[in-house]
Amino acid sequence: MKKILRVLVWMAVAVVGAGALGTIAFHRGEPINATWFVLAAACSYVVAYRFYSSFIAAKLLALDNTRATPAERREDGRDFVPTNKWVLLGHHFAAIAGPGPLVGPTLAAQFGYLPGTLWLIAGAVFAGCVQDFVILFCSIRRDGKTLGEMARQEVSERGGFIAQLAVLAIMVILLGVVALVVVNALKSSPWATFTLAMTIPIALLLGIYLRYFRPGRVMEASAIGVALVLFVVVAGQWVADSPAWAKLFTMSGVGLAFAIIAYGFAASALPVWLLLAPRDYLSAFIKAGAIFTLAAGILLVRPQVLMPPLTRFVDGTGPVFAGKIFPFCFITIACGAISGFHSLISSGTTPKMIQREGQARLIGYGAMLMESFVGVMAMVAACAMTPGVYFAINSPSTIVGATPEAVSQTISSWGYPLTAGTMTGLAHAVGEQTLLNRAGGAPSLAVGMAQIFSNTIGGDRLLSIWYHFAIMFEALFILTVLDAGTRVGRFMVQELGGRVWKPLGRMNWMPAILLSSALIVAAWGYFLYQGVVDPLGGINLLWPLFGISNQLLATVALVVATTILLKMGRLKWIWVTLLPMTWLVIITMTASYQKIFSGNALIGFLAQANALAAQIAAGKIAAAKIGETQRVIFNLRLDAGVTAVLAGMILVLVIEAVLQWYAILSQRKAPVLRETPYVATQWAEGD
Amino acid sequence: MRRAWSGFCQRMQRVWQGLREWSGDAAYEKYVQCSGRTDGGKPLTPEEFYVDQLNRKYARPNRCC
Repeated sequence: MKKILRVLVWMAVAVVGAGALGTIAFHRGEPINATWFVLAAACSYVVAYRFYSSFIAAKLLALDNTRATPAERREDGRDFVPTNKWVLLGHHFAAIAGPGPLVGPTLAAQFGYLPGTLWLIAGAVFAGCVQDFVILFCSIRRDGKTLGEMARQEVSERGGFIAQLAVLAIMVILLGVVALVVVNALKSSPWATFTLAMTIPIALLLGIYLRYFRPGRVMEASAIGVALVLFVVVAGQWVADSPAWAKLFTMSGVGLAFAIIAYGFAASALPVWLLLAPRDYLSAFIKAGAIFTLAAGILLVRPQVLMPPLTRFVDGTGPVFAGKIFPFCFITIACGAISGFHSLISSGTTPKMIQREGQARLIGYGAMLMESFVGVMAMVAACAMTPGVYFAINSPSTIVGATPEAVSQTISSWGYPLTAGTMTGLAHAVGEQTLLNRAGGAPSLAVGMAQIFSNTIGGDRLLSIWYHFAIMFEALFILTVLDAGTRVGRFMVQELGGRVWKPLGRMNWMPAILLSSALIVAAWGYFLYQGVVDPLGGINLLWPLFGISNQLLATVALVVATTILLKMGRLKWIWVTLLPMTWLVIITMTASYQKIFSGNALIGFLAQANALAAQIAAGKIAAAKIGETQRVIFNLRLDAGVTAVLAGMILVLVIEAVLQWYAILSQRKAPVLRETPYVATQWAEGD
Repeated sequence: MRRAWSGFCQRMQRVWQGLREWSGDAAYEKYVQCSGRTDGGKPLTPEEFYVDQLNRKYARPNRCC
């Protein structure tokens, strides 16, 4: 009887999910309510977790709760710390959830709500969660080895080296791109710039408090910090209203870029307890609070989604970024569907803290489902504003114009009605001079979030506060990724550079710290600068590069996972990792090819460089602008080269892995697994 | 009624402990417990442990995009 009831409940969940998915897929004409998105996502995730993840756990991985995990065998209270599964789920989720699942879906909303939403749900269920889960399992069975180490041991020496280089490359591109998102959100906004700038002295204060007065009392320090941050969000309005202060905090894109570069250098070179760690604590608490509030806001307000399911820009002519749904939707939304970067977390701290193998399912698969849900909420927030407003905020001035009149005329001519007064009024309502041409996704997401929040608490009176809270939340979030990433990048530069010049590898030698910090900051700073001065706003140039590199890293992770599973003799179920890997190879290689060789100057780096070179040759560029244009041409060719090198590296890795698979399957080579030997757990069931 | 209240208090205590573990507040206690079990020499002071833990944590990717 109980079993029948269970079957009926699961059937009901599946039917509701399928119905909600069908509704959002086939709905046309009138706006659709956001509740359908929540239902479609939640039911799909619950069914996937219940059935697909348990199938993977039982058949593919054969998780074994009698086997002692690294946290049990090597417990040391520092790295190897057995941790309650729910606490570890919180840790893992906080580590994997960055700005990506918020920004990517917002940008992909230019195709309409449908492609991005379907990719977020299906991508997470069949690819992202699988990657995180399987890599976590592989790392647990190898004492918490990193992805690079596993690639070296299980695929080849070269595979390990490629993985290491890919991680460094993605880190550099990622940091440049996320910094660009912050610049585009803060430029010409004294309120937002002041708020974010003030988080630095707040973090320093917390750092000193935690180091000298109350060591390790993170919660009380964070409570003080969060209160101060909320106060500076409100105080930002007073700064914006004061002509003298507003002038001080009104910065151009280039000025902000250099300020962020200087900040990144400081965060990397200063002791970690002083600036980086306290900012991370602040960010973690505010992130958890903002995501929870957004989810609650969407459930309470149940906003209408005004964006159509498909826009006219499915043909690849989008103003936010150029390119068709295939492959660009799938690389624009990386985090939220599948993100290679997660494999670094799954093979980093988490495997050293897990108590039982069986918990890898909740933590690996479950945390990624939660991140995907964040992506769906971001999509709802972006699509809840009128399409005209969305395009006005996210389109560069070179495409839509720079004045409210020009912008509204262009966007209305696309079939998305917009008046100049709408944009002026909205900017005024959120306390900004203008919201036009803010490519990058952060401002439009902030507008969407602010509208949802203000419909829940405070109404229109609090719209400007909520907008700047959302901007501060996104920027704080991003700067945490930036400073933590710069520091890790510094260690990688020291590790790789130490092979060439030994003193550079000395982690405590100040000249080595300064030099390696300068090198990593210069690398991502260069990408940031080229994005800031790019005539199309930089996002069109750099976000696809970031998406490609992130998905290429996911390819590395799935290649490693597939190789290990093959060696384990799981040929029958190998499609679980092989299919997402094949899909990623197809989309990344297609996107790389199009970004390098497409004849469309809005898509292809080389075509755009050649078009600009032809304009210079034809005398169509003013003499004063020739130097600047030549720099843009150089950057475009550099980006083409970077894309080609990344794609080439991954192709080498894939070919190497396929040759190894062939050798194993044809029995020319005996599979050698580098798992740690089985040790029975000493913990009783339920420990 | 009293049993329900004590059950509620126990549950809240567990949530509070989970929050302390998640935030890192309980990290030093765990470390001391562990070093007591493993007899790995003189344990670090809270200040030393805090800095050491941060240096380890931020030397590897721990925040995703």
